[in-house]
Amino acid sequence: MINLLHVEDDADIREIAMMALGISGEFAIIQCESGDEALSEVENSTPDVILLDMMMPGMTGLQTLQHMRKMPHLAEVPAIFMTARTQQSDVDELRAMGNVEVITKPFDPMTLSDQIKEAMAKIDA
Amino acid sequence: MADITSSKTSAKAFAFGTVAATGWYATTSALLAAPLDYFIPIGGAVTLAGLIPILLNRHAVRQQANIDNVALTQRLGVLDRHVMVNVVDTNHCVSEANDQFLDVTGYRRDELIGKPVKILYCESNGQSKADEIRGTLLRGETWQGETPLRRKDGTVMHTHTTVIPLFDAMGEWTGSIAARTDITRTKKLLAEQETMETLEELRDDIWIVDADSERFTYMNRAAMRRTDWTKQNYKEKSLGDIAQDRGAKAIVSACRELKENGEGMTHFETVLKGKPFYASIKLLRVKNAEDRFLILLNDISDRLAEERKKSDFIAMVSHELRSPLTSIKGSMGLLLSNATGELPDKALALLGIAHRNADRLVLIINDILDLEKISAGRMDFDLQDSDMSELVRETNHATEMLQQRFALKVETKGIDKPLPIKTDSTRIIQVLTNFMSNACKFSKPNGKIVIEVQQLDESLRVSVTDEGPGIPSSDHHKIFERFADLENSDRSSKGGTGLGLSICKAIVESLGGTIGFETEENVGTTFYFVLPQAQCAEDGDRAEEEFREAS
Repeated sequence: MINLLHVEDDADIREIAMMALGISGEFAIIQCESGDEALSEVENSTPDVILLDMMMPGMTGLQTLQHMRKMPHLAEVPAIFMTARTQQSDVDELRAMGNVEVITKPFDPMTLSDQIKEAMAKIDA
Repeated sequence: MADITSSKTSAKAFAFGTVAATGWYATTSALLAAPLDYFIPIGGAVTLAGLIPILLNRHAVRQQANIDNVALTQRLGVLDRHVMVNVVDTNHCVSEANDQFLDVTGYRRDELIGKPVKILYCESNGQSKADEIRGTLLRGETWQGETPLRRKDGTVMHTHTTVIPLFDAMGEWTGSIAARTDITRTKKLLAEQETMETLEELRDDIWIVDADSERFTYMNRAAMRRTDWTKQNYKEKSLGDIAQDRGAKAIVSACRELKENGEGMTHFETVLKGKPFYASIKLLRVKNAEDRFLILLNDISDRLAEERKKSDFIAMVSHELRSPLTSIKGSMGLLLSNATGELPDKALALLGIAHRNADRLVLIINDILDLEKISAGRMDFDLQDSDMSELVRETNHATEMLQQRFALKVETKGIDKPLPIKTDSTRIIQVLTNFMSNACKFSKPNGKIVIEVQQLDESLRVSVTDEGPGIPSSDHHKIFERFADLENSDRSSKGGTGLGLSICKAIVESLGGTIGFETEENVGTTFYFVLPQAQCAEDGDRAEEEFREAS
């Protein structure tokens, strides 16, 4: 099982992702609706991968990950951003943080689990 | 009468002979009798403007002058040396001209006397002005105003002129006399003054710098405000005095580079005292003068703020539209895949329609966002070593659903071996997908589409050919325009935004390539692009710059 932390402010998208990832049966999913909630969640846990929405009210996905990277146990945890911002410069900026990949919105729910595994493999490589 | 061939003796002869002969005597006497205060100095020259009312009065009453002959000669001499005077007879030919007139116009007396006065006219408005003057004189009135005169060498001078009709003792009109002052220099000075005043008022900073000493020779008000220098001290300053500012350093380097190259102009963006500027620098080389740099600094903070707003808007729209679409497409995708259980066929068909249209909405949003990026010159390019054969295969695979929907067969040619190219593969797939999408939509059912890659000298030509209805010649010029309204295209039923090909053009051109099409009505259409294999752009920046120009 892959322990996945999903941070997404849109409840509908959280539900769809939960269903889509639930089909494959390969993920144990914890969902948070904000960066603050996610930071509390990871204080005493280490997910295998973090799936982050980019644009959220309050703390953005990028800021959330920046905070997480300062925590020793999360310094190198793979992170995947789900973002509608697909400008190459934005993607490059995110990848520059290290151990980061990007999945473009809107995503295909039927291939989401494969996309996450592919992204994790890319980060590992 | 005066000797019209000898210029040495002509001044006196001109004065006395003419005075005795005609009404010029009265006129000239009247001129001389008037107090000299009536001469109004303008820019160092003297105009007769203030003199005319007095002159008219005196002339009208034909006052008998009682002036000593010596004094008259002296005064005439002064006048003769200062003012250009010529007389025109009733045949509109020049009958008299003083030395000053000849000196300034460059004619010899024998070249001018007896010749039609119109040889002195300028082509632009000469005849209409002559008609206006003639009309005034025939009414017995004096004409006054500015007249351009053509010198013998063809150059044009500007004069302030007073023309008075001449009458004989019987009151018969015998011609006219004109007194002129050369105001060419005055006009030039005034024009220069106006230019300088305009420069002073400009919002942009203007610096003029001596190319050798690098000292400032001119600064307009905006430039002085920016540097905190004054009219009194800026000429003591040089480029070295501003070089500690990072942005100014770029200006100094650019100036020195221009000087080293010996000519040219350069433009770039820089930051000066915390404000963004667009700098234009030109090396001015003027004969018999020191080389100078003309530096124009255009404050672009407002423009950049607008661009930032636009960029934020793009990001906001992108997020706000795509997030609900993610939910819509995601939900329908899960339903269509029976993740929630089997659905009746009719429900699946309806869901299929909704899903396809959600896809279409995504494409439209992507096109609109791309268009915004093009307009703002902010589309990114990621140049990587790629294989065109692979990109064609990927596009073919990505459009399989579309091909099946229209029951089309796709044939690929020339992709049996790797075709290396340095390009932005995502953008090339975007262009090819657009070509394929058009080909599918305009093909007849069960038709064939051919995707072909041809190796040219150092470039690749990639084409997509359909067997559709072709494009009417009346639409050829509009094909790559935004929202091109094409005959028979039936955009609404085909599902396009009308933006795709204009975006393709901007992408291909910014990647250093060319785009085009060949078409024959009722036979088919081929859209193609040609891209250099070794992308000359060193990195994405260059491509982005070209993209801005292309867009």
